[in-house]
Amino acid sequence: MPKSKRLFSAASRRELVFPLLLLTPALAVLLSLSIYPLIYSITISLQRETADGIKWTLANFARLGSDSFFLTAMAHTFVYAAAALVLEFSIGLGLALLLNTQMRGRGFFRATLLVPMMLPTVVVGVVWRLMLNANFGAINGTLKEFGLNTESLTWTASPRLAFLSVIVVDVWQWTPFVFLVLLAGLQAIPQEPYEAALIDGSSRWQTFRHVTLPLLKPAILIALLLRTMDLLRVFDQIFILTEGGPGFATETISLYIYRTAFRFFDFGYAAAMSFVLLALTNVISTIYIRLLQTKETA
Amino acid sequence: MLRRLTNIHWYLSCSGKRHLNSKNRLMQINRAYLTVAVFLVLVVLVSSCRTGQQSNSKQLTLAVNSGVEGEALKQAALDYEKQTGVHIQFAEFPYTNLFEKELIDLNAHTGAYDLIMLDDPWFPRFATKQFLTDLSPLLQKRGQTGPDADFVNTSLALCRNPYQTGALYALPYVGNSQLFFYRKDLFAKYSLKEPLTWDDVLAAAKTIQEKESEGGKTYGYVMRAAQGNAAVADFMPIFWAFGGEMFDTAGKPTVNTPEGIAALKFMLELGKYSPPGYASFNADDVGAHLLQGSAAMSINWPAWISSFSDATKSKVIGKMAFTTLPGATKTGQAEIGNWLIAIPKDSRNAEAAMDFLLWATSAEQMKLSAQRGNPPTRKSLFQDKELVSKFPSYPAQFKSLESARPRPRTPQWNEIENAFGIYLSKANSGELSPEEAMNQANAEIEKIIQRGQ
Repeated sequence: MPKSKRLFSAASRRELVFPLLLLTPALAVLLSLSIYPLIYSITISLQRETADGIKWTLANFARLGSDSFFLTAMAHTFVYAAAALVLEFSIGLGLALLLNTQMRGRGFFRATLLVPMMLPTVVVGVVWRLMLNANFGAINGTLKEFGLNTESLTWTASPRLAFLSVIVVDVWQWTPFVFLVLLAGLQAIPQEPYEAALIDGSSRWQTFRHVTLPLLKPAILIALLLRTMDLLRVFDQIFILTEGGPGFATETISLYIYRTAFRFFDFGYAAAMSFVLLALTNVISTIYIRLLQTKETA
Repeated sequence: MLRRLTNIHWYLSCSGKRHLNSKNRLMQINRAYLTVAVFLVLVVLVSSCRTGQQSNSKQLTLAVNSGVEGEALKQAALDYEKQTGVHIQFAEFPYTNLFEKELIDLNAHTGAYDLIMLDDPWFPRFATKQFLTDLSPLLQKRGQTGPDADFVNTSLALCRNPYQTGALYALPYVGNSQLFFYRKDLFAKYSLKEPLTWDDVLAAAKTIQEKESEGGKTYGYVMRAAQGNAAVADFMPIFWAFGGEMFDTAGKPTVNTPEGIAALKFMLELGKYSPPGYASFNADDVGAHLLQGSAAMSINWPAWISSFSDATKSKVIGKMAFTTLPGATKTGQAEIGNWLIAIPKDSRNAEAAMDFLLWATSAEQMKLSAQRGNPPTRKSLFQDKELVSKFPSYPAQFKSLESARPRPRTPQWNEIENAFGIYLSKANSGELSPEEAMNQANAEIEKIIQRGQ
C-alpha cells in the first residue's frame, strides 16, 4: 500500500512538470520585462553620475520641487485629464442612453461611433494636425466658407487653443470607449426594477437617478478608472499634434519624462518623475477600486 | 496535421488517468517538450552571442539617418562591397530616433556599430563621454599627418573635441549650413535689392505683403518658432547678427543681454509678416509656404533647394534665389548643421571602418554623394564645374558654410536648446514679453549648466 502511495505522489510530481514548464515562459517574461526593469529604475532614480563615478543620492527627487517644467507639466496633465474625463463621460453617457433605446438606425450609429477608437492614436494625431492647420487645414477652411474670420484661430499655435485642441482630439477618439462600456452596462440592467419604478409612478428623472445610475455604477467606475489611467500617461497624440507646444503650453508629464530620458539622457531624473506619476496614478486608481468594492459588498 | 493536433490533445486530456501506458506516453511527451524548450533556449543564447563574437573583418555595421544623407551612404556601400568585398550592413533610423539609439548602444558598450552618422550638435555629448575612437593614430598608420586639407575648415572644426582645437573623432560627410531664401521675381517686381541686413528684410517683407495682398495672400516672411530645435535654429542667425552671445568667456549664459532682447524683439517684429500660427511651425510648414508661393522669404537649409524645381510640388519654379544670411550690427552668420561619421570606441573593426570612412569621404565618393543631393564638405567640390552647373546655389552655400557658426559646443546642448526654444516659442505665441522670455531662459540655462551631467 505505501508503495503505491509513493508511486502516486511521484506521478503527480511528474505531472507538475508539464504545467510548470508551460508557466516558465510567462514567468520569465514577467521577471525580465516587468520586475527587473522596475527594480532597475528604482535603482537609477536614486543614483547620479558624477565625475568620480556613480553616487547614491536623493538629488533626483529633491529636484522635483524646484523644477518649474516638472510642476507645470504635472499641472497640465491633471487639468487635461480632468477636462477630458468630464467631457468623455458626459458625452459617452448621453450617447449610451440614447442608443440604448429602440431608436431607428441604432446599429449603424453604434458601429460608426466605434471607428475613432479603432484608429491608431498616431494616425488620429496626424489627421487632426492636418485638419487644425491654420492656413491649409479643413477646419479653418470650412469656417472660412461660412464667412468667419479665421485669422486669429491658429489652433496649435496659440497656447489656449492648443490646449483645447489636444483635449478635443482625446474626447473625439476616446468618448466611444466610455460609450461602449456604459452601453454594455446599461444592457446588463434587468427590466424588473424599471417595471417596479413605473408602477410606483416615478418620473423619468427619478428612474434615471434611483434605478439606472446605481445599477450602472460598476460600469461607470470601470470606464472612469481605465480612462483616468490612460489620460494621466497620455503621450502619442500630443506628441504628434503639438509636441508639447507652443512653448510649454501642452507639455504633459509623459512628454517631459520622454524628453528627459531620451533627449537629455538623464534616466535617473526621468525615473524619479515616473515614480511620482506612478504613485499618483496608484492613489487615484485605489480610490476608484475602493468605490467599486463598496458597491459590490453593499 | 489536424490529426496530430487532436492526438496531442488526447494525450493531454489523458494526463489525469494514471494507468501505466498513458503515463509512459506522458513522459515521452514531457521529454519532447523539454527538448524543444532546451533547444529554444539554446537558439536564443547562441543568437544573442553572435553579435558579441563578430570579429569578421569582412563585415561592417553602420547606423544611419533614414533620409537623403543615409541613402547616399547606402548607395556608396554597394560600390564599396563590389570593390573590396567588405559587406556593409545598415541600421537605419528616422532622425528623431537615431540619437537615442546610438547613445544607448554606445553607453552599453555593445560594439554593435562600427560607424555611426552624427548630427553635429550631438557630437560633444558623444566625444566628452569618450565613446568615439580618436582618428589621428589611424591616420598616422596610413601615412597621413592629419585630415585632408581639402575639408572646409568650419566642417572639420566640428569633428574635434574641444571644438576646433582638440583631438579628431569624426570626419564631415554632409556640409549643410543655413541659407537665406527669397523670391527673386517679387524682389524684381518691386525693385527691391538682395537683402544685406535684417532691416532690409523687414522692409522688403512689409512692401511685398502690402502690395501682394490682392488675389490670394503672400506673406512677407515665413519663420518657424515651434519650441525646441525649430525656434532656436531660426533665431540664432538673428541673435548673432544683433551681437547676442549665448555664453560669455567664463561659460555663463548671457542670452538676456540688451543685444539678445533686441534680437528677440526683432524676431517678433518679423513675425508680424509671417503666416499666422508660425509659433508652432516646423521645417515642413516653412517648406509648404515657400513651395505654395504663399511666403516670400525665409531662413532654410539647402536640402529644400531641389524641391523648388520639382513641378509636382512647386508653384515657384525658377523664382527662388539663395544667398548668405543678412547681418545687423554684425555680419550675418549661418548656423552650421553637418552630418559627421565617427567610429565608436567599442567597434571591433576600427581598422576596416577607418578604411571605409576615408573612402566614403574621399573627393571622388563625395562627388557622387553630392550628385545625390548632399552638400559636400570639401572645398574642391564646391568649385567643381559639373556640380556648380547642376547646383547653381553652390557659391552661396560655400560662402555660407565657410563663415557658419556651430551651435554652442556643450554635451548639454539638447537640454539647453529645449529650454531656450520653449521661451522663444512662448514669446512668439504672445505668452511672454521678450524681456521676460529672455530672463527666464537665461535662468533656466544657468540651472542646466550648474546641474552638470
